[in-house]
Amino acid sequence: MINDDINQNALPQWLIKTEAYAPSRDSAPFIQKSIITLLRILSRIHAQNAKAHIIQANPVIKMLYTFLFVLLLSMTGSLSFVAIAVVYQLAVLSLMRTEVLLGVVKVSLGVALFTFIVLLPTIFYGNFYSMQMILPKVFAAVVAVNLLSHTTRWNELTASVKYFHVPDLFIFVLDITIKYILLLGEFSLHMLYAVQLRSVGKNRNKVLSFSGIGGTLFLKSREMAEDMVAAMTCRGFSGEYRVYTKYRFRKMDALYVLIMALFVLLFIYT
Amino acid sequence: MIVLKDVTFSYAGIKALSHISLQILAGESVALLGANGSGKSTLLKLLNGIVSPDHGTYHFGDDEITHKKLQNTTFAKKFHQRIGFVFQNSDTQLFCTSVYDEVAFGPRQMGCDEAETKKRVDDCLALLGIQAFAERTPYHLSGGEKRKVAIASVLSLNPEVLVLDEPMNGLDPRTERWLVAFLDQLNKAGKTIITSTHNLALVQEISHRSILFGEDHTIVADLPTEELLTQADLLKQVNLVDATYHVHADSHHHHYHMHYTHGDHENGFLK
Repeated sequence: MINDDINQNALPQWLIKTEAYAPSRDSAPFIQKSIITLLRILSRIHAQNAKAHIIQANPVIKMLYTFLFVLLLSMTGSLSFVAIAVVYQLAVLSLMRTEVLLGVVKVSLGVALFTFIVLLPTIFYGNFYSMQMILPKVFAAVVAVNLLSHTTRWNELTASVKYFHVPDLFIFVLDITIKYILLLGEFSLHMLYAVQLRSVGKNRNKVLSFSGIGGTLFLKSREMAEDMVAAMTCRGFSGEYRVYTKYRFRKMDALYVLIMALFVLLFIYT
Repeated sequence: MIVLKDVTFSYAGIKALSHISLQILAGESVALLGANGSGKSTLLKLLNGIVSPDHGTYHFGDDEITHKKLQNTTFAKKFHQRIGFVFQNSDTQLFCTSVYDEVAFGPRQMGCDEAETKKRVDDCLALLGIQAFAERTPYHLSGGEKRKVAIASVLSLNPEVLVLDEPMNGLDPRTERWLVAFLDQLNKAGKTIITSTHNLALVQEISHRSILFGEDHTIVADLPTEELLTQADLLKQVNLVDATYHVHADSHHHHYHMHYTHGDHENGFLK
Protein backbone atom coordinates (compact mmCIF):
# COMPACT_ATOMS: atom_id res chain seq x y z
CA MET A 1 0.00 0.00 0.00
CA ILE A 2 1.14 3.45 -0.85
CA ASN A 3 0.27 5.46 2.21
CA ASP A 4 3.27 6.71 4.13
CA ASP A 5 1.56 8.70 6.83
CA ILE A 6 -1.56 6.67 7.50
CA ASN A 7 -2.49 3.28 8.82
CA GLN A 8 0.60 3.17 10.93
CA ASN A 9 -1.56 2.13 13.86
CA ALA A 10 -1.96 -1.61 14.14
CA LEU A 11 -5.49 -2.85 14.67
CA PRO A 12 -6.32 -3.24 18.38
CA GLN A 13 -6.67 -6.78 19.70
CA TRP A 14 -10.42 -6.51 20.41
CA LEU A 15 -11.02 -5.65 16.76
CA ILE A 16 -9.21 -8.73 15.52
CA LYS A 17 -11.02 -11.19 17.80
CA THR A 18 -14.52 -12.42 16.99
CA GLU A 19 -17.00 -10.75 19.29
CA ALA A 20 -18.55 -13.12 21.85
CA TYR A 21 -21.68 -11.06 22.31
CA ALA A 22 -25.08 -12.25 23.38
CA PRO A 23 -27.67 -9.45 23.28
CA SER A 24 -30.06 -9.02 26.17
CA ARG A 25 -33.78 -8.83 25.56
CA ASP A 26 -35.14 -5.37 24.93
CA SER A 27 -38.70 -4.53 24.08
CA ALA A 28 -37.68 -2.26 21.26
CA PRO A 29 -40.23 -2.36 18.48
CA PHE A 30 -40.21 1.45 18.90
CA ILE A 31 -37.71 2.01 16.08
CA GLN A 32 -39.40 -0.65 13.97
CA LYS A 33 -42.76 1.06 14.41
CA SER A 34 -41.29 4.45 13.52
CA ILE A 35 -39.72 2.97 10.38
CA ILE A 36 -42.97 1.31 9.33
CA THR A 37 -44.96 4.51 9.89
CA LEU A 38 -42.49 6.59 7.93
CA LEU A 39 -42.34 3.99 5.15
CA ARG A 40 -46.13 4.02 4.93
CA ILE A 41 -46.23 7.81 4.57
CA LEU A 42 -43.41 7.83 2.01
CA SER A 43 -44.87 5.02 -0.05
CA ARG A 44 -48.19 6.90 -0.10
CA ILE A 45 -46.47 9.99 -1.46
CA HIS A 46 -44.59 7.83 -3.99
CA ALA A 47 -47.77 5.98 -4.91
CA GLN A 48 -49.37 9.37 -5.57
CA ASN A 49 -47.06 9.65 -8.55
CA ALA A 50 -47.43 6.05 -9.68
CA LYS A 51 -49.33 5.98 -12.93
CA ALA A 52 -51.54 3.05 -11.92
CA HIS A 53 -53.82 5.16 -9.71
CA ILE A 54 -53.99 8.26 -11.81
CA ILE A 55 -57.10 9.06 -13.83
CA GLN A 56 -55.89 10.77 -16.97
CA ALA A 57 -58.13 13.84 -17.01
CA ASN A 58 -57.65 17.57 -16.77
CA PRO A 59 -56.91 18.26 -13.08
CA VAL A 60 -58.75 21.60 -13.29
CA ILE A 61 -61.93 19.83 -14.40
CA LYS A 62 -61.40 17.14 -11.75
CA MET A 63 -61.06 19.83 -9.13
CA LEU A 64 -64.12 21.75 -10.37
CA TYR A 65 -66.08 18.50 -10.45
CA THR A 66 -65.14 17.67 -6.83
CA PHE A 67 -65.83 21.23 -5.69
CA LEU A 68 -69.24 21.27 -7.40
CA PHE A 69 -70.11 17.84 -6.02
CA VAL A 70 -69.31 18.87 -2.44
CA LEU A 71 -71.13 22.20 -2.92
CA LEU A 72 -74.33 20.58 -4.25
CA LEU A 73 -74.17 17.92 -1.58
CA SER A 74 -73.93 20.44 1.23
CA MET A 75 -76.66 22.67 -0.23
CA THR A 76 -79.24 19.99 -0.96
CA GLY A 77 -82.16 19.32 1.31
CA SER A 78 -83.22 16.24 -0.61
CA LEU A 79 -82.60 12.86 0.89
CA SER A 80 -82.87 11.24 -2.57
CA PHE A 81 -80.05 13.41 -3.89
CA VAL A 82 -77.87 12.47 -0.93
CA ALA A 83 -78.68 8.78 -1.41
CA ILE A 84 -77.83 8.92 -5.12
CA ALA A 85 -74.59 10.79 -4.33
CA VAL A 86 -73.51 8.15 -1.81
CA VAL A 87 -74.37 5.28 -4.17
CA TYR A 88 -72.53 7.04 -7.01
CA GLN A 89 -69.38 7.55 -4.88
CA LEU A 90 -69.45 3.91 -3.75
CA ALA A 91 -69.81 2.82 -7.38
CA VAL A 92 -66.79 4.94 -8.39
CA LEU A 93 -64.88 3.59 -5.41
CA SER A 94 -65.57 0.01 -6.46
CA LEU A 95 -63.72 0.70 -9.74
CA MET A 96 -60.53 1.66 -7.90
CA ARG A 97 -57.56 -0.55 -7.06
CA THR A 98 -57.74 -2.37 -3.73
CA GLU A 99 -55.18 -0.19 -1.93
CA VAL A 100 -56.94 3.02 -3.04
CA LEU A 101 -60.30 1.58 -2.09
CA LEU A 102 -59.09 0.55 1.37
CA GLY A 103 -57.33 3.86 1.97
CA VAL A 104 -60.36 5.95 1.00
CA VAL A 105 -62.88 3.80 2.88
CA LYS A 106 -60.74 3.86 6.02
CA VAL A 107 -60.49 7.66 6.10
CA SER A 108 -64.12 8.21 5.09
CA LEU A 109 -65.52 5.81 7.67
CA GLY A 110 -63.26 7.35 10.30
CA VAL A 111 -64.57 10.83 9.58
CA ALA A 112 -68.16 9.53 9.41
CA LEU A 113 -67.73 7.84 12.79
CA PHE A 114 -66.40 11.05 14.30
CA THR A 115 -69.42 12.94 12.86
CA PHE A 116 -71.72 10.29 14.27
CA ILE A 117 -70.25 10.77 17.76
CA VAL A 118 -70.59 14.55 17.44
CA LEU A 119 -74.22 14.22 16.30
CA LEU A 120 -75.14 11.58 18.86
CA PRO A 121 -76.74 14.08 21.32
CA THR A 122 -79.20 15.20 18.60
CA ILE A 123 -80.78 11.73 18.61
CA PHE A 124 -81.57 12.10 22.29
CA TYR A 125 -83.42 15.30 21.42
CA GLY A 126 -85.39 13.39 18.78
CA ASN A 127 -83.70 15.02 15.80
CA PHE A 128 -83.13 12.05 13.47
CA TYR A 129 -83.16 14.22 10.36
CA SER A 130 -79.71 15.73 11.08
CA MET A 131 -78.23 12.29 11.48
CA GLN A 132 -79.91 11.04 8.29
CA MET A 133 -78.70 13.97 6.22
CA ILE A 134 -75.34 15.00 7.65
CA LEU A 135 -73.79 11.57 8.10
CA PRO A 136 -74.12 10.40 4.45
CA LYS A 137 -73.27 13.91 3.24
CA VAL A 138 -70.00 13.89 5.21
CA PHE A 139 -69.19 10.36 4.03
CA ALA A 140 -69.83 11.14 0.32
CA ALA A 141 -67.91 14.44 0.49
CA VAL A 142 -64.88 12.84 2.15
CA VAL A 143 -64.91 10.01 -0.41
CA ALA A 144 -65.03 12.55 -3.26
CA VAL A 145 -62.11 14.60 -1.93
CA ASN A 146 -60.08 11.47 -1.18
CA LEU A 147 -60.71 10.10 -4.65
CA LEU A 148 -59.49 13.38 -6.11
CA SER A 149 -56.32 13.19 -4.03
CA HIS A 150 -55.70 9.52 -4.90
CA THR A 151 -56.33 9.83 -8.62
CA THR A 152 -54.46 13.08 -9.28
CA ARG A 153 -50.74 13.82 -8.99
CA TRP A 154 -49.99 16.39 -6.33
CA ASN A 155 -47.98 18.59 -8.67
CA GLU A 156 -50.98 18.64 -11.06
CA LEU A 157 -53.30 19.54 -8.22
CA THR A 158 -51.11 22.39 -7.04
CA ALA A 159 -50.62 23.65 -10.61
CA SER A 160 -54.36 23.54 -11.30
CA VAL A 161 -55.16 25.91 -8.43
CA LYS A 162 -53.62 28.60 -10.66
CA TYR A 163 -56.98 28.65 -12.52
CA PHE A 164 -58.62 29.66 -9.25
CA HIS A 165 -56.37 32.73 -9.11
CA VAL A 166 -54.07 31.40 -6.42
CA PRO A 167 -50.73 33.32 -6.69
CA ASP A 168 -47.93 31.50 -8.53
CA LEU A 169 -45.52 31.98 -5.67
CA PHE A 170 -47.94 30.26 -3.31
CA ILE A 171 -48.18 27.30 -5.74
CA PHE A 172 -44.40 27.18 -5.90
CA VAL A 173 -44.15 27.08 -2.09
CA LEU A 174 -46.73 24.26 -2.04
CA ASP A 175 -44.75 22.27 -4.60
CA ILE A 176 -41.47 22.75 -2.77
CA THR A 177 -43.10 21.78 0.54
CA ILE A 178 -44.35 18.48 -0.89
CA LYS A 179 -40.98 17.79 -2.51
CA TYR A 180 -39.09 18.44 0.72
CA ILE A 181 -41.50 16.39 2.84
CA LEU A 182 -40.48 13.49 0.60
CA LEU A 183 -36.76 14.29 0.57
CA LEU A 184 -36.49 14.86 4.31
CA GLY A 185 -38.74 11.86 4.92
CA GLU A 186 -36.34 9.65 2.99
CA PHE A 187 -33.41 11.22 4.81
CA SER A 188 -34.97 10.52 8.22
CA LEU A 189 -35.86 6.98 7.11
CA HIS A 190 -32.19 6.31 6.41
CA MET A 191 -31.28 7.77 9.79
CA LEU A 192 -33.78 5.42 11.42
CA TYR A 193 -32.15 2.53 9.55
CA ALA A 194 -28.79 3.65 10.93
CA VAL A 195 -30.15 3.72 14.48
CA GLN A 196 -31.75 0.31 13.96
CA LEU A 197 -28.57 -1.27 12.58
CA ARG A 198 -26.46 -0.02 15.46
CA SER A 199 -29.08 -0.69 18.15
CA VAL A 200 -27.55 -4.02 18.98
CA GLY A 201 -28.30 -3.98 22.68
CA LYS A 202 -30.52 -2.47 25.34
CA ASN A 203 -31.11 1.11 24.34
CA ARG A 204 -32.05 3.08 27.43
CA ASN A 205 -31.84 6.35 25.60
CA LYS A 206 -34.06 5.81 22.59
CA VAL A 207 -35.43 9.33 22.97
CA LEU A 208 -31.88 10.70 22.83
CA SER A 209 -31.25 8.96 19.49
CA PHE A 210 -34.47 10.40 18.16
CA SER A 211 -33.64 13.90 19.32
CA GLY A 212 -30.34 13.45 17.45
CA ILE A 213 -32.28 12.57 14.31
CA GLY A 214 -34.50 15.61 14.81
CA GLY A 215 -31.50 17.89 15.25
CA THR A 216 -29.69 16.55 12.20
CA LEU A 217 -32.89 16.78 10.18
CA PHE A 218 -33.27 20.42 11.17
CA LEU A 219 -29.68 21.19 10.16
CA LYS A 220 -30.13 19.27 6.91
CA SER A 221 -33.33 21.11 6.04
CA ARG A 222 -31.67 24.45 6.69
CA GLU A 223 -28.71 23.46 4.54
CA MET A 224 -31.01 22.27 1.74
CA ALA A 225 -33.02 25.50 1.94
CA GLU A 226 -29.85 27.59 1.71
CA ASP A 227 -28.61 25.50 -1.23
CA MET A 228 -31.92 25.91 -3.01
CA VAL A 229 -31.97 29.67 -2.53
CA ALA A 230 -28.41 29.81 -3.89
CA ALA A 231 -29.33 27.62 -6.88
CA MET A 232 -32.42 29.71 -7.62
CA THR A 233 -30.50 32.97 -7.32
CA CYS A 234 -27.85 31.61 -9.69
CA ARG A 235 -30.59 30.89 -12.21
CA GLY A 236 -31.92 34.42 -12.01
CA PHE A 237 -34.70 34.10 -9.40
CA SER A 238 -35.63 37.50 -7.97
CA GLY A 239 -38.94 36.83 -6.23
CA GLU A 240 -41.09 36.44 -9.37
CA TYR A 241 -42.30 32.97 -10.28
CA ARG A 242 -44.66 31.85 -13.02
CA VAL A 243 -46.42 28.51 -13.18
CA TYR A 244 -46.89 27.30 -16.75
CA THR A 245 -49.76 24.92 -17.32
CA LYS A 246 -50.99 23.47 -20.58
CA TYR A 247 -53.98 21.16 -20.56
CA ARG A 248 -55.84 19.54 -23.45
CA PHE A 249 -59.49 18.56 -23.37
CA ARG A 250 -59.71 14.76 -23.38
CA LYS A 251 -62.46 12.15 -23.56
CA MET A 252 -62.29 11.63 -19.82
CA ASP A 253 -62.86 15.36 -19.31
CA ALA A 254 -66.09 15.10 -21.29
CA LEU A 255 -67.23 12.34 -18.95
CA TYR A 256 -66.50 14.52 -15.92
CA VAL A 257 -68.46 17.41 -17.48
CA LEU A 258 -71.38 15.08 -18.25
CA ILE A 259 -71.47 13.79 -14.65
CA MET A 260 -71.32 17.38 -13.38
CA ALA A 261 -74.28 18.33 -15.60
CA LEU A 262 -76.26 15.30 -14.42
CA PHE A 263 -75.68 16.20 -10.77
CA VAL A 264 -76.76 19.80 -11.38
CA LEU A 265 -79.99 18.55 -13.05
CA LEU A 266 -80.51 16.09 -10.21
CA PHE A 267 -80.01 18.89 -7.69
CA ILE A 268 -82.63 21.03 -9.42
CA TYR A 269 -85.24 18.30 -9.89
CA THR A 270 -85.01 16.46 -6.54
CA MET B 1 -20.62 -17.08 5.57
CA ILE B 2 -23.16 -15.42 3.26
CA VAL B 3 -25.28 -17.49 0.91
CA LEU B 4 -28.03 -16.11 -1.32
CA LYS B 5 -30.13 -18.48 -3.37
CA ASP B 6 -32.33 -17.22 -6.19
CA VAL B 7 -33.14 -13.98 -4.39
CA THR B 8 -35.62 -11.59 -5.99
CA PHE B 9 -36.71 -8.25 -4.58
CA SER B 10 -38.98 -5.48 -5.85
CA TYR B 11 -39.85 -2.00 -4.58
CA ALA B 12 -43.62 -1.61 -5.01
CA GLY B 13 -43.62 -3.72 -8.16
CA ILE B 14 -40.39 -2.26 -9.58
CA LYS B 15 -37.75 -4.99 -9.78
CA ALA B 16 -34.48 -4.23 -7.98
CA LEU B 17 -32.92 -7.70 -7.72
CA SER B 18 -33.62 -10.61 -10.02
CA HIS B 19 -32.65 -14.23 -9.30
CA ILE B 20 -29.48 -13.43 -7.36
CA SER B 21 -27.46 -16.43 -6.19
CA LEU B 22 -24.06 -15.95 -4.61
CA GLN B 23 -21.80 -17.14 -1.85
CA ILE B 24 -19.32 -15.00 0.09
CA LEU B 25 -16.81 -16.71 2.35
CA ALA B 26 -15.42 -15.34 5.62
CA GLY B 27 -12.36 -13.17 5.04
CA GLU B 28 -13.13 -12.41 1.39
CA SER B 29 -13.04 -8.92 -0.07
CA VAL B 30 -15.80 -8.58 -2.63
CA ALA B 31 -16.79 -5.63 -4.80
CA LEU B 32 -20.23 -5.18 -6.31
CA LEU B 33 -19.99 -3.45 -9.66
CA GLY B 34 -22.75 -2.22 -11.91
CA ALA B 35 -24.34 0.82 -13.50
CA ASN B 36 -26.61 3.13 -11.50
CA GLY B 37 -29.87 1.43 -10.58
CA SER B 38 -28.59 -2.08 -11.26
CA GLY B 39 -29.39 -3.25 -7.71
CA LYS B 40 -26.07 -2.97 -5.84
CA SER B 41 -27.37 -0.79 -3.02
CA THR B 42 -30.51 -2.91 -2.69
CA LEU B 43 -28.37 -6.03 -2.33
CA LEU B 44 -26.37 -4.32 0.42
CA LYS B 45 -29.62 -3.38 2.19
CA LEU B 46 -30.76 -6.98 1.89
CA LEU B 47 -27.47 -8.30 3.28
CA ASN B 48 -27.96 -6.00 6.28
CA GLY B 49 -31.55 -7.07 6.87
CA ILE B 50 -33.06 -3.68 6.03
CA VAL B 51 -35.15 -5.34 3.33
CA SER B 52 -36.05 -9.03 3.00
CA PRO B 53 -36.24 -11.11 -0.20
CA ASP B 54 -39.60 -11.46 -1.96
CA HIS B 55 -38.42 -14.88 -3.17
CA GLY B 56 -35.35 -16.99 -2.47
CA THR B 57 -33.30 -17.40 0.68
CA TYR B 58 -30.54 -15.52 2.48
CA HIS B 59 -28.29 -17.35 4.94
CA PHE B 60 -25.82 -15.56 7.20
CA GLY B 61 -23.63 -18.12 8.92
CA ASP B 62 -25.93 -20.89 10.11
CA ASP B 63 -29.02 -18.69 10.20
CA GLU B 64 -31.54 -18.00 7.51
CA ILE B 65 -32.30 -14.29 7.60
CA THR B 66 -36.01 -13.69 7.19
CA HIS B 67 -38.31 -10.81 7.98
CA LYS B 68 -39.94 -12.91 10.69
CA LYS B 69 -36.61 -13.75 12.34
CA LEU B 70 -35.59 -10.11 12.32
CA GLN B 71 -38.75 -9.31 14.30
CA ASN B 72 -37.08 -11.19 17.15
CA THR B 73 -35.09 -8.32 18.65
CA THR B 74 -32.47 -10.55 20.31
CA PHE B 75 -31.73 -12.28 17.00
CA ALA B 76 -31.76 -8.99 15.07
CA LYS B 77 -29.32 -7.35 17.49
CA LYS B 78 -26.81 -10.20 17.30
CA PHE B 79 -27.14 -10.16 13.50
CA HIS B 80 -26.60 -6.39 13.30
CA GLN B 81 -23.55 -6.69 15.56
CA ARG B 82 -22.00 -9.27 13.20
CA ILE B 83 -22.53 -7.26 10.02
CA GLY B 84 -21.81 -3.53 9.93
CA PHE B 85 -23.10 -1.17 7.27
CA VAL B 86 -21.44 2.09 6.20
CA PHE B 87 -24.06 4.10 4.31
CA GLN B 88 -23.39 5.95 1.07
CA ASN B 89 -24.50 9.23 2.64
CA SER B 90 -22.64 9.64 5.93
CA ASP B 91 -25.05 12.38 7.02
CA THR B 92 -27.81 9.84 7.39
CA GLN B 93 -25.65 7.59 9.52
CA LEU B 94 -24.55 10.09 12.13
CA PHE B 95 -27.19 11.00 14.68
CA CYS B 96 -25.34 11.74 17.93
CA THR B 97 -24.28 15.13 19.19
CA SER B 98 -20.54 14.43 19.34
CA VAL B 99 -18.11 12.21 17.48
CA TYR B 100 -17.21 10.47 20.77
CA ASP B 101 -20.87 9.60 21.47
CA GLU B 102 -21.31 8.48 17.88
CA VAL B 103 -18.50 5.94 18.13
CA ALA B 104 -19.48 4.99 21.69
CA PHE B 105 -23.11 4.30 20.68
CA GLY B 106 -22.40 0.70 19.62
CA PRO B 107 -20.24 -0.41 22.60
CA ARG B 108 -22.71 1.20 25.03
CA GLN B 109 -25.51 -0.68 23.30
CA MET B 110 -23.60 -3.91 23.76
CA GLY B 111 -23.43 -3.23 27.47
CA CYS B 112 -19.69 -2.50 27.61
CA ASP B 113 -18.74 -0.58 30.77
CA GLU B 114 -17.49 2.99 30.33
CA ALA B 115 -13.81 1.95 30.61
CA GLU B 116 -14.20 -0.62 27.81
CA THR B 117 -16.29 1.83 25.77
CA LYS B 118 -13.61 4.50 26.14
CA LYS B 119 -10.91 2.06 25.07
CA ARG B 120 -12.87 1.07 21.97
CA VAL B 121 -13.67 4.67 21.07
CA ASP B 122 -10.09 5.82 21.59
CA ASP B 123 -8.76 2.90 19.55
CA CYS B 124 -11.17 3.55 16.70
CA LEU B 125 -10.54 7.30 16.68
CA ALA B 126 -6.76 6.68 16.68
CA LEU B 127 -7.05 4.06 13.96
CA LEU B 128 -8.92 6.46 11.73
CA GLY B 129 -6.84 9.48 12.76
CA ILE B 130 -9.79 11.51 14.02
CA GLN B 131 -8.92 11.88 17.72
CA ALA B 132 -8.96 15.67 17.33
CA PHE B 133 -12.67 15.63 16.41
CA ALA B 134 -13.84 13.63 19.43
CA GLU B 135 -15.89 16.46 20.91
CA ARG B 136 -17.08 17.98 17.63
CA THR B 137 -20.56 17.66 16.17
CA PRO B 138 -20.46 15.09 13.34
CA TYR B 139 -22.77 17.14 11.12
CA HIS B 140 -20.27 19.99 10.87
CA LEU B 141 -17.31 17.88 9.74
CA SER B 142 -16.10 17.66 6.14
CA GLY B 143 -17.24 14.83 3.83
CA GLY B 144 -14.07 12.76 4.35
CA GLU B 145 -14.13 13.27 8.12
CA LYS B 146 -17.78 12.26 8.28
CA ARG B 147 -16.99 9.09 6.33
CA LYS B 148 -14.23 8.27 8.83
CA VAL B 149 -16.58 8.84 11.78
CA ALA B 150 -19.21 6.65 10.10
CA ILE B 151 -16.66 3.86 9.66
CA ALA B 152 -15.43 4.25 13.26
CA SER B 153 -19.02 4.11 14.55
CA VAL B 154 -19.49 0.75 12.83
CA LEU B 155 -16.04 -0.63 13.66
CA SER B 156 -16.57 -0.07 17.38
CA LEU B 157 -19.16 -2.88 17.20
CA ASN B 158 -16.38 -5.18 15.95
CA PRO B 159 -18.44 -6.71 13.14
CA GLU B 160 -17.23 -9.77 11.25
CA VAL B 161 -18.48 -8.37 7.96
CA LEU B 162 -18.13 -4.76 6.91
CA VAL B 163 -20.44 -3.60 4.15
CA LEU B 164 -19.73 -0.26 2.46
CA ASP B 165 -22.02 1.44 -0.04
CA GLU B 166 -20.01 3.56 -2.52
CA PRO B 167 -17.40 4.44 0.11
CA MET B 168 -15.24 6.46 -2.29
CA ASN B 169 -18.02 8.86 -3.32
CA GLY B 170 -17.18 12.47 -2.61
CA LEU B 171 -13.76 11.80 -1.12
CA ASP B 172 -10.64 13.67 -2.14
CA PRO B 173 -7.85 11.53 -3.70
CA ARG B 174 -5.81 11.44 -0.49
CA THR B 175 -8.73 10.24 1.67
CA GLU B 176 -9.63 7.81 -1.10
CA ARG B 177 -6.12 6.32 -0.94
CA TRP B 178 -6.33 6.22 2.84
CA LEU B 179 -9.61 4.31 2.72
CA VAL B 180 -8.21 1.79 0.21
CA ALA B 181 -5.28 1.08 2.52
CA PHE B 182 -7.51 0.89 5.57
CA LEU B 183 -9.94 -1.59 4.00
CA ASP B 184 -6.99 -3.72 2.96
CA GLN B 185 -5.68 -3.63 6.52
CA LEU B 186 -9.07 -4.73 7.90
CA ASN B 187 -9.34 -7.51 5.32
CA LYS B 188 -5.89 -8.79 6.19
CA ALA B 189 -6.97 -8.86 9.84
CA GLY B 190 -9.72 -11.29 8.87
CA LYS B 191 -12.72 -9.05 8.28
CA THR B 192 -14.98 -9.79 5.35
CA ILE B 193 -15.29 -6.65 3.23
CA ILE B 194 -18.18 -6.12 0.81
CA THR B 195 -18.09 -2.89 -1.15
CA SER B 196 -20.29 -1.46 -3.87
CA THR B 197 -18.45 0.92 -6.13
CA HIS B 198 -18.24 2.55 -9.55
CA ASN B 199 -14.60 3.35 -9.11
CA LEU B 200 -12.83 0.97 -11.51
CA ALA B 201 -9.49 2.63 -10.82
CA LEU B 202 -9.56 1.46 -7.21
CA VAL B 203 -11.71 -1.65 -7.29
CA GLN B 204 -8.74 -3.93 -7.79
CA GLU B 205 -7.18 -2.62 -4.60
CA ILE B 206 -10.24 -3.02 -2.41
CA SER B 207 -11.38 -6.43 -3.63
CA HIS B 208 -10.09 -9.78 -4.80
CA ARG B 209 -13.40 -10.77 -6.30
CA SER B 210 -15.97 -8.73 -8.18
CA ILE B 211 -19.64 -9.35 -8.83
CA LEU B 212 -20.96 -7.51 -11.87
CA PHE B 213 -24.63 -6.50 -12.04
CA GLY B 214 -26.46 -6.05 -15.31
CA GLU B 215 -29.12 -3.46 -15.97
CA ASP B 216 -31.70 -6.25 -15.73
CA HIS B 217 -30.75 -6.56 -12.02
CA THR B 218 -29.14 -9.99 -12.43
CA ILE B 219 -25.54 -11.04 -11.79
CA VAL B 220 -23.74 -10.98 -15.14
CA ALA B 221 -20.30 -12.06 -13.92
CA ASP B 222 -18.61 -13.22 -10.74
CA LEU B 223 -14.85 -13.24 -11.32
CA PRO B 224 -11.54 -12.33 -9.70
CA THR B 225 -11.39 -8.52 -9.94
CA GLU B 226 -8.19 -8.56 -12.00
CA GLU B 227 -9.84 -10.80 -14.58
CA LEU B 228 -13.12 -8.90 -14.66
CA LEU B 229 -11.38 -5.61 -15.38
CA THR B 230 -9.94 -7.06 -18.57
CA GLN B 231 -13.43 -7.95 -19.85
CA ALA B 232 -13.98 -4.63 -21.57
CA ASP B 233 -16.87 -5.92 -23.66
CA LEU B 234 -18.69 -7.22 -20.62
CA LEU B 235 -18.28 -3.92 -18.78
CA LYS B 236 -19.55 -2.06 -21.85
CA GLN B 237 -22.47 -4.45 -22.16
CA VAL B 238 -23.72 -3.52 -18.68
CA ASN B 239 -23.17 0.18 -19.42
CA LEU B 240 -20.57 0.55 -16.72
CA VAL B 241 -17.93 1.92 -19.09
CA ASP B 242 -17.90 3.55 -22.50
CA ALA B 243 -15.77 2.92 -25.57
CA THR B 244 -12.74 4.76 -24.15
CA TYR B 245 -12.28 2.21 -21.34
CA HIS B 246 -8.95 0.38 -21.27
CA VAL B 247 -6.59 -1.39 -18.89
CA HIS B 248 -2.82 -1.35 -18.84
CA ALA B 249 -0.93 -4.51 -19.66
CA ASP B 250 0.57 -4.31 -16.18
CA SER B 251 -2.56 -4.34 -14.08
CA HIS B 252 -0.68 -3.47 -10.90
CA HIS B 253 -0.10 0.13 -11.84
CA HIS B 254 -1.07 2.59 -9.15
CA HIS B 255 -1.00 5.97 -10.77
CA TYR B 256 -3.50 8.49 -12.03
CA HIS B 257 -2.98 9.43 -15.63
CA MET B 258 -4.60 10.92 -18.70
CA HIS B 259 -4.23 9.95 -22.33
CA TYR B 260 -4.22 12.72 -24.86
CA THR B 261 -4.54 10.57 -27.97
CA HIS B 262 -6.80 7.67 -28.83
CA GLY B 263 -4.35 6.14 -31.28
CA ASP B 264 -2.60 4.06 -28.70
CA HIS B 265 -5.67 1.96 -27.94
CA GLU B 266 -6.95 -1.09 -29.71
CA ASN B 267 -10.10 -3.06 -28.85
CA GLY B 268 -10.38 -1.23 -25.58
CA PHE B 269 -6.87 -2.14 -24.47
CA LEU B 270 -3.63 -0.16 -24.43
CA LYS B 271 -1.29 -1.33 -27.14
